[in-house]
Amino acid sequence: MQKLLLTIDKISTFVGHAFSWLIVGLTLLISWEVFSRYVLDHPHPWAFDAMIMMYGTLIMMAGAYTLAKSGHVRGDVLYGFFRPRTQATIDLILYVIFFIPGVFALTYAGYHYAAESWAIFERSNVTAEGPPIYPFKTMLPLAGAFLFLQGIVEIIRCVICIRQGEWPSREEDVEEVDVDKLKQMVHVKDEDIARLDELVVPQGSRK
Amino acid sequence: MKIRKELWFGFSLMAIILVTVLIFTPWASLFDGHLSHDDLGALGLLMLALIVVAIMLGFPTAFTLMGMGVAFGWLAYRSVNPEIATQQILDLMVQRAYSVMSNDVLIAIPLFVFMGYLVERANLIEKLFKSLHLSLARVPGALAVATIVTCAIFATATGIVGAVVTLMGLLALPAMLRAGYSVQLSAGAITAGGCLGILIPPSVLLIVYGATAGVSVVKLYAGAFFPGLMLAGLYVIFVVVVAKLKPHLAPPLSESERRVSLPPISQALSGRHRNAMAGLLGGLRSSGLPRRSVLGQLFLTLLPALAIVALLAVMYGSATAPLAAVDTAGLVQAGSGVAAEETPEPSSGLQEPPMEGATDSAAAKEPESLGTAAVPATAPSAAAPALAPTPATAPAVPAAERVPAPLWFWIVFAGGVAALLLISWLMNWQRLEIFKMLLTSFFPLAVMIVAVLGSIVFGLATPTEAAAVGAFGGLLLAGVYRYVAAKQDHRPHPVNSTLRDLGGIVKESSFLTAKTSAMVCWLFVGSSIFSASFALLGGQQIVENWVLSLGLTPFQFMVLAQFIIFILGWPLEWTEIIVIFMPIFIPLLPKFGVDPLFFGLLVALNLQTAFLSPPVAMAAFYLKGVSPRHVTLNQIFAGMMPFMGIQVLAIVLLYMFPQIGLWLPQLLYK
Repeated sequence: MQKLLLTIDKISTFVGHAFSWLIVGLTLLISWEVFSRYVLDHPHPWAFDAMIMMYGTLIMMAGAYTLAKSGHVRGDVLYGFFRPRTQATIDLILYVIFFIPGVFALTYAGYHYAAESWAIFERSNVTAEGPPIYPFKTMLPLAGAFLFLQGIVEIIRCVICIRQGEWPSREEDVEEVDVDKLKQMVHVKDEDIARLDELVVPQGSRK
Repeated sequence: MKIRKELWFGFSLMAIILVTVLIFTPWASLFDGHLSHDDLGALGLLMLALIVVAIMLGFPTAFTLMGMGVAFGWLAYRSVNPEIATQQILDLMVQRAYSVMSNDVLIAIPLFVFMGYLVERANLIEKLFKSLHLSLARVPGALAVATIVTCAIFATATGIVGAVVTLMGLLALPAMLRAGYSVQLSAGAITAGGCLGILIPPSVLLIVYGATAGVSVVKLYAGAFFPGLMLAGLYVIFVVVVAKLKPHLAPPLSESERRVSLPPISQALSGRHRNAMAGLLGGLRSSGLPRRSVLGQLFLTLLPALAIVALLAVMYGSATAPLAAVDTAGLVQAGSGVAAEETPEPSSGLQEPPMEGATDSAAAKEPESLGTAAVPATAPSAAAPALAPTPATAPAVPAAERVPAPLWFWIVFAGGVAALLLISWLMNWQRLEIFKMLLTSFFPLAVMIVAVLGSIVFGLATPTEAAAVGAFGGLLLAGVYRYVAAKQDHRPHPVNSTLRDLGGIVKESSFLTAKTSAMVCWLFVGSSIFSASFALLGGQQIVENWVLSLGLTPFQFMVLAQFIIFILGWPLEWTEIIVIFMPIFIPLLPKFGVDPLFFGLLVALNLQTAFLSPPVAMAAFYLKGVSPRHVTLNQIFAGMMPFMGIQVLAIVLLYMFPQIGLWLPQLLYK
């Protein structure tokens, strides 16, 4: 079971990682477009559409990845104090009440939305002769489907946690604040910090 | 047990809300499906109460909002026409989601986030802190001041509170403790400084606010600039005053800590002259020293002088330019063009369609901005190479008569020359070394920030474009710094290892960017569905009527609103506060005659306190994670308190003197 969960985690992560490279493309595209417009005096009419599409695809397709790494913001005033079993119970209930209907509706509606766009081979109306927009709209149900899949994995995780009393493991990934890496970056070792204690202790007693 | 108490408090709060909800829900009409107008409004308020409970339970907020929005929106549609309700709510949902996907304001978020991660990984904070603390060595509380300044610059460029606080906890905290600073003051300076990044533009918070409130991000950036500087300045003043009054909290640095080791050339020359500039000039003639490196040093010494001369020349050029009036009009026009392009119609929720023809108008404005760029090029300036791409228009202009320079120019000129002389006179060997360190750490970052901000604020580029170019600059910065580091380590293949490093950096940064922006944007998807449902139910109307019925004066309203936001900052993160609650506040603003721009600046200042207010201050926990064992959370909290007080003071100051924030946007976008 754990293996299956990790496999789906891996799929979400792979998709997320693959699409995160779009940010590099987006940076280069806009930088080039700025250069081309202001210096070469040669703007491209499709640039705006391309920018929006890259951005939209990036954020939508990273949704499942973010969920797999529990990166979606949550109010952890109380949540942090709960025992894992309580956390899992609450999560399980709320996944069923909020997540499943919400994301399912989004995917279902997105499917029809994209299908309509495909039916007329819709093109962007930002500029005349805009680029085709139906592949972009397809991202909406696709992202919803991945998110839905990942949501089911999270539900199974909750069930496992309720049974075992602790959260099943997740795949590792880059973290925003990776203390060990930062320590390495500025050449600070744990011993150095420990040695500082001597300076702190007298201060504490003086008070 | 303390934890239990907090849990009980939370649960009882939730229970009270839930019981109220159960009592006031119009059950009868809910089941037979005939909801009257009042019932719907009541449902809207219940929805708001429920969302608070659900968020406190700790479920990912984006999906809570989405699920609740769908359920309540369906109820609202069903009360009108049960047959098409399902279809209607699905349409609403998908359109809201799509409008976030194709939002031309939010697109700047991933780019700025990406830039932040790249700059963070360029690994220049160590140098930055060291050079700043050496250059500020004479100021009382030098280390704490340097910490705040470093934080302000670095946090501005990266905007990542956690990373900045952690890094400064690793670098500045040991330095300050070793110098005998009190734990409280050190912790306060680090945590308060680390949070500046969310206020000083280019900050993601302001983009999110701009997208939610329909305020131009350009104006918000222009407006937040001085309040941000003011807050940083107040911190610095506070530290200096404390260090003056109570030297035992922040003792001055010892002589050995101020000294910089000199390179061989400087050592050889420093015996002859105290002043670096004279010494180097003398060194040119004397034999025994490598001439080229002496020349190189001399060039570095003259850099500030050259910069001042170039600046004066450019100013002279623009002050006496014959066509000045016409050209500045062009500049203003181009600026307002971009500003207008960024300003969607003020709407209660999220604005919907991407502005059509945005690229067209930008393209149309472009010849004018080229024209303005050509003006300084006509001046015989030292900065000419920088403006080289526009020589085509230059020859036409000098034919016209030059205007005699006005008086203010000569005053500035005198000031510039005085500064030049002062710098040359003060430039001793120590200062030269410090200046060189600043040149490699402080200036690149400062130039990047100024370039990004300047091009946005002066309307040369949209925030998106500036963000992308900034991210590109961050990439270059990371590459250069890694290359220099590899060179200094004498690695066998500096270029190859730099490229490998850079690949890793870009990979990590783009993954992190994807996660962070997906988090923010999915929250937007959820909240825009939620706020649409809230409006459908008429909840917005009820809140509005209720607030208006209180008969508040604008002042009372502002205090109340800021107080509510302050309280919300305790359990919620800033993203949630802005995305969920701003759509409720914003429609009320015109009723009280409050400028949404001004309100946004106050909110941004206010949310700073959310990072510092115990017991959930994130900054404190990041710092605790890297501090020595005996530094307690209570000490950190105690250190943050005075800085929180300063934040409140800053809010009051901004409210009393709105011009601090509004002067720049009003000047630029009349």
